Amino acid sequence: METLVFAGAAVVKILIVMVTVLVTVAILTLAERKVLSWMQDRMGPMEVGPYGILQPIADGIKLFFKEDIVPAGANRFLFSLAPILSLVPALIGFAVVPYGPNREIELYGVTIKPFIITDINIGILYILAFTSIGAYGIILGGWASNNKYSLLGGLRAAAQVISYELNVGLAIISVLILSGSLSMVTIAEKQAGSILNWNVIGMGHGGGIWWWVPVTQIVAFVVYVISSVAETNRLPFDLPEADSELVAGWMTEYSGMRFAFFFMAEYANMILVSCIASVLFLGGYHAPYPGTLLPDKLSWIEGIAWFTVKVYAFLFLFFWLRATLPRLRYDQLMRFGWKVMLPLALGNIVVTAIVVYFLRD
Amino acid sequence: MALAQWVKTLTFYEILVGMKATITVLIDRILLRKRKAVTLQYPHEKRDLPGTYRGMIALLRYDDGTDKCVGCDLCEAACPSRVITVISSEVEGEPMKRYAKEYYMDMTRCLFCGLCVQACPVDALAMTREYEWAKYNKRDLYLDKEQLLALGDRNFPVREKKLEFQHPNVAYFNIGHKNLPPKES
Repeated sequence: METLVFAGAAVVKILIVMVTVLVTVAILTLAERKVLSWMQDRMGPMEVGPYGILQPIADGIKLFFKEDIVPAGANRFLFSLAPILSLVPALIGFAVVPYGPNREIELYGVTIKPFIITDINIGILYILAFTSIGAYGIILGGWASNNKYSLLGGLRAAAQVISYELNVGLAIISVLILSGSLSMVTIAEKQAGSILNWNVIGMGHGGGIWWWVPVTQIVAFVVYVISSVAETNRLPFDLPEADSELVAGWMTEYSGMRFAFFFMAEYANMILVSCIASVLFLGGYHAPYPGTLLPDKLSWIEGIAWFTVKVYAFLFLFFWLRATLPRLRYDQLMRFGWKVMLPLALGNIVVTAIVVYFLRD
Repeated sequence: MALAQWVKTLTFYEILVGMKATITVLIDRILLRKRKAVTLQYPHEKRDLPGTYRGMIALLRYDDGTDKCVGCDLCEAACPSRVITVISSEVEGEPMKRYAKEYYMDMTRCLFCGLCVQACPVDALAMTREYEWAKYNKRDLYLDKEQLLALGDRNFPVREKKLEFQHPNVAYFNIGHKNLPPKES
C-alpha cells in the first residue's frame, strides 16, 4: 500500500512536470520567434490563430506528418538512437529541480514532497552527469548521418560541450562551497531570506558581526550563464548548428519526428539550464523580499510563481542574446572557453573558499 | 587608456551596448508603441504600386467589341525574348483590313520591358497592374488571344472608340472603307 501510494504520487508528479516542460517548449518555440521579430522590426508568425499563437500546434502537426528520411549510407540504428539520446537526458534532469517550496505532506501515511519529483542528495551532480550524455546524441547523430556537414557539426559539438561543461562544473563548485550540499533543495533553502541572501549577492554566510559580508557569486553566475548558453548550443555559441556554415550542422539529415526530438531537446535543455541557474544563483522559489505575501497555506503558489518568473527571465535572456550577438569563430570560442572562462571560474573558487573559510568562524 | 579598455572588456561593455540596442527596439515596439513592423502581411495587405508599374500584358478592344490588333507583327519584332507569336490574317470581304487570327504570349519568358506596348501602332497592347500569376502548371502561362483579351477586358473596362471616330479627318492605313465617317465640312 505504501509503495503504491509512493509510486502513484511519483507518477503524478512526473506527469505534471513533463507536461509543463513540453508545454513550455511549445511556448518557447513561439516566444523565441516573436521576441526575435520584435527586436528586428518584424512580426513573426501571424497566420495560425490570432497573432499566430497557435503556430506551435501547427508546427507540431507538420513535423508529425512529415516524411521520416534516413539517408543512404547512414547507420540506421545510431541514426534513430541519436534523437532519443539527446531528448531523454534533457528531460531527465527535471527530476531533481525543486519548482516549489520545500514542503512535505502526509498521504496515507507516506511523506511526500509535492514540489520536487525526487530530492536526491547529489541532485546537481546527477544533472551534470545526464546533460553530458546529451552530447552523445549530437555526436552520434552527426556521425551516423553519413554527411560531412553533420559530422563537422557533431565534432564541433563534442569539443564545445567538453570545453564548456568544465566551466559549468567549476562555476557550480563555488555555490556548493557556500551551501555545503549537492542537493538542489538544500542549495535553494540556504538562500532563504531576501534577495540579499541569493547566491549572486551572497550575504548571510558570515558568523557573528560578519553576517553582512557578501560572498558574491556574480562571477560564477556570469561564467555559468555564458557556459550554459554554449552548452545548449545557442547563439552566439551555435557552432555545431551554424546555419551559414554547416547547413544545419548535426541536424542536417534529420526530418520529421526525429528532427522534432532534437528541437525539443534543445529547448528542454534551455529550460533545464534556466532552472538550474535560478536554483543555484537566484534563490530558486524564494521571493526577493523576506517571507511571503500570501498566507502560509497558499505560499507555495507564490514560490512557484517566483520560480517561473526567474526561469522565464533566463529564457528571455537566451532570446535576447540570440537577437544581439553574432556567432563566434571556432578559435574564438575555444580561446574564450579555456583562457577566459576557465581561469575566472577557478579564481572564483579560490577566492570564495578563502573568504568562506575566514567568515565561518 | 589601457585601464579603460580592460574595464570595458571585463564588464562586457560592448556586448551590453548591443543588448541595449535590441531591447530598446523591443520596448519601443511593444510597450511604447513608437515603432511599427516593416512587414507587409502580403496576401492580406498589398503594396501600393507605382504609377508606371508594368504587370501582365493585355490585348485591348474598341468600344464596339472588335479587336484593336491589326496583326502587323511589330510587337513580335520588338520583343527581346521572343514572347509573342502573331498569326496574321485578312478580314473576310475587306481585303485592306488585317487582324491577328491567333495571338500567343509565352509569359514564362516575358521580362515585362514594355517594348511591345511601345511598338504597337494602334495601341492594341497595354500593360496591366496584375502580378499574382503564380501557377502550378507552367503551360498555364502560355496565353492565347482569348486570355489576353480577357485580361484587357478586366483591367481596362473603359474602351476607346475606333480611330476613325476619334479623329475623323486623319487617314489611317487600316481604316475600312465601309465604315468611313462622313467628313466634317
